[in-house]
Amino acid sequence: GCSGGGSSANGEEGSSDNGDSSNSGDGLKIVAAHNQTSPENPYQIGMKEFKKVAEEESNGKVNVEVHAGTLGTSESELVEKLKLGAADVVLVSPGFMSKTGIDEIDLFALPYMFDSYDHWEKVVDGEIGDKMADIIKEKSNNDFKLLGYWTAGVRHYYGKKPIKSVDDLKGMKLRTQTSGAIAEYWKKTGAVPTSVAWGELYQALQQGVVDAAENAYPYFVQQNHHKTKNGKYITETGHDYTTRFLLINGKKFENFSQEQKDTIMKAAEAAVKKEREALYSQEEEYKKQAKEDGAKINQIDRQPFIELAKPLQDKVAEEIGLEDMLKQIRDMK
Amino acid sequence: MKLLEKIQLTIGAIFLSVFFITIVIQVTTRMISISAIWTEEVANYSFIWAVFMGAAVMLNRREHFKFDLLLKKLKGKAKSTLVLINDLILLAFSFAIFYYGIIAVQNFWNYTWVSLSEMKMGYVWISVPIMGGTMIIYMIGHLINTIKHFNREEATSS
Amino acid sequence: MGPILVGLFILLMVIGIPIAFVIGIVALLGIMNVEYIPNVTVPVKMFNGLDSFVLLAVPLFILAANLMNSGKISQKLIDFSLSIVGHIRGGLAHANILVSMIFAGVSGASQADTAGVGKILIPNMKNQGYDKENAVGITAASSTIGVIIPPSIPMIIYAGLTNVSVGALFLVGIIPGILVGLGMMIIVYILAMKRGYPTYQKASWSNFMKQFLETIPALFTPIILIGGIVTGIFTATEAAAFASLYTVAVAMFYYKTLKLKDIPQILIDTLLLSSLSLFALAAANALGELMSYYKLASWAQEFFTSNIDNKWIFMLIVIGFFLFVGTFMDAIPAMILFIPVILPIAMSFDISPVLLGIVTIMTLAVGLVTPPYGLCLLLAAKIGDLSIERSFGAVMPYIAVIVVVLLLVAFFPDLAVYLPKQLNPNMF
Ligand code: NA
Ligand code: NA
Repeated sequence: GCSGGGSSANGEEGSSDNGDSSNSGDGLKIVAAHNQTSPENPYQIGMKEFKKVAEEESNGKVNVEVHAGTLGTSESELVEKLKLGAADVVLVSPGFMSKTGIDEIDLFALPYMFDSYDHWEKVVDGEIGDKMADIIKEKSNNDFKLLGYWTAGVRHYYGKKPIKSVDDLKGMKLRTQTSGAIAEYWKKTGAVPTSVAWGELYQALQQGVVDAAENAYPYFVQQNHHKTKNGKYITETGHDYTTRFLLINGKKFENFSQEQKDTIMKAAEAAVKKEREALYSQEEEYKKQAKEDGAKINQIDRQPFIELAKPLQDKVAEEIGLEDMLKQIRDMK
Repeated sequence: MKLLEKIQLTIGAIFLSVFFITIVIQVTTRMISISAIWTEEVANYSFIWAVFMGAAVMLNRREHFKFDLLLKKLKGKAKSTLVLINDLILLAFSFAIFYYGIIAVQNFWNYTWVSLSEMKMGYVWISVPIMGGTMIIYMIGHLINTIKHFNREEATSS
Repeated sequence: MGPILVGLFILLMVIGIPIAFVIGIVALLGIMNVEYIPNVTVPVKMFNGLDSFVLLAVPLFILAANLMNSGKISQKLIDFSLSIVGHIRGGLAHANILVSMIFAGVSGASQADTAGVGKILIPNMKNQGYDKENAVGITAASSTIGVIIPPSIPMIIYAGLTNVSVGALFLVGIIPGILVGLGMMIIVYILAMKRGYPTYQKASWSNFMKQFLETIPALFTPIILIGGIVTGIFTATEAAAFASLYTVAVAMFYYKTLKLKDIPQILIDTLLLSSLSLFALAAANALGELMSYYKLASWAQEFFTSNIDNKWIFMLIVIGFFLFVGTFMDAIPAMILFIPVILPIAMSFDISPVLLGIVTIMTLAVGLVTPPYGLCLLLAAKIGDLSIERSFGAVMPYIAVIVVVLLLVAFFPDLAVYLPKQLNPNMF
């Protein structure tokens, strides 16, 4: 996840019938949750669309209650809640999914797995996305059913100097995610993966505790990281077109009526579209803002970075037994 | 009971030391630019173990903060009765922690750590029912003690 | 269901169930009554409440304070403080406050200060002719500075709840903490003049230098600690570990007042003391889940935005509310339960989370010395062998000082925020 501490301020989006949540008559109540508090966050925009479409399609018989980063709700907690039935629809990142024992998920989170949004969309919306959904369903014993793939943007490097080649990363303390394969990749580039809580990162960049970080425009520009001493050079490494999983509790879903199932699937489809649109346009917006604020943005030849990632991709794919899928993804470029 | 407390305290203190040492390792490795990504999880999970063990022992020692105004005012049988009621309530709650703790362990046993995927989350979650279980034992001990000395004036003071 | 649970809360508290368990039991019964929250949520939320790296600082800051007490470093700090303020009328009382301010720079909690310094100074003050009331009152009141001057465990918890930078909150605590200390010294001075408290002979320059040099290694701890966190070199957790390590080294090898065989007992004491507040935190986290189910946050937001349009009135309500809650609840569970409700409203009034944080923490610090449940007051009263009622009477003038500083900070935020803002404008 992108927000280090996970827990954050409460910004709860109430359902229309404030306070009363019991199922009335033939109605169905869906508790939907994600971990971002900002009302403008694409997650929230997507979830609101889910609510809107589900309630409209069902003439109000399906009632969706959206929890936007309700206190103490880290992503691993969202997964736990989904499993226990305390939440029905949640959004999570690959790192927190692989924690549940579904290692296959890691494939989508590997550096340079996708080389553009086009490529990413083709993969997740096609056969491969369906196959991954089957794996999730099967390995979670139908606790998790996938409703659609969202994204949290494409991640780039930003640091104290622009990078022009892989060598420039040597010895740099880079704040990055702490899950295995990603850390391993950055080590291979020569950088030193360092753990700093998201809330402390501004200061860490300002004071030189870390030399660089990596994230998507909407996230780091909102935090003003691009205004810090060690964050103002942005190099568009594009190393991770991130995948987020919109999940529903599969066992509950199976007990829904066909009509309810259709409603949910329709709402999910609309939400996927809306979330991606919002994210893509915000990415442009925040990039523009970074430029206006004086951050220096440079492009880089990604090929050497991609070459470095390939053996790692091969290794992980072999470990989780998805060599075929990896090959398919590469062929779709 | 004394032995159980001693074992539990030792476990708690060991976990406290583990997380202390782990954090020292984390600072040191970062300063010399090596990354040891496992430290955060090891520290976090030892911490959870330590706290839950400590909390159970403190229940046995009756040192969790409470208002004792009413308890202090009462004497003899009335006091013993109130202590008995309180201990029964605490016993019931301990049982709930134990019972639902086991359900949580069953649900999350096979989840893995992020940094060390060979480690199961179950090893951490199991601290919850262990806390609940030892609390049950401690509270039963207190109950027996209260009933034995029911009529004695100072029977149940701490 | 809400009112029943509140009634149950009060009933359980009155019959003497420990507060942390009251919180947990109410959470369990409440959640049992809500069909779609599974009961297993109670232990799950308790577990999750502790699953946060920043909380690891809690036992570590208690450990650092325990080490200072066991290693007799507190005694050295007292001697040093006496050499600075001992010659003023009421010298020992001034030193009591000053040492609490220095101690605050190492300790994240207030109880360790009350216990450590109180054990030495309360008997000492009685011997010198201070009345019991004042010895207890000053000791209890001045230790509240422990959570205002960084490091501070409540600030760490608050930062975790709101995603505010710990470093930012720490910076903001420094000036109010010093002001509270100075304000208390003024009260002491007035009382001392009226009642003719004794003074110490002014320390000679050479004597002062001797004390100073002797104390330097101990004084380094707060400097490394606060400096490290504020500049971002250490996280709060790391700084706490480092401070403990440093204190062990100083006490063992420099002052030679600590032996290896003392360490296990110190570890056990630390474990037990910190598990008290952390277990309460865990239980509060479960109750918080129930409260978010009842949508208390949006309900309160609606109420405030439609009924109160003045942010200062809102601020006063927050202060009044936490003064009340602080009388019967620890700062940590109080924040876990109510900050999520209050923060969104504060944001809509354009009150920065950092400002709300310092105000909340200072207000809840008052709760440390108010009965029925004020830990520092209870501790000091026990050490001084004085009834709670009389101890509370003695603490009153000092509470007034905290409240005055608190109001100043609330209404003139720049007082606390100006300096830190220069260092890091992004934080506010
Ligand atoms: Na402090
Ligand atoms: Na003091």
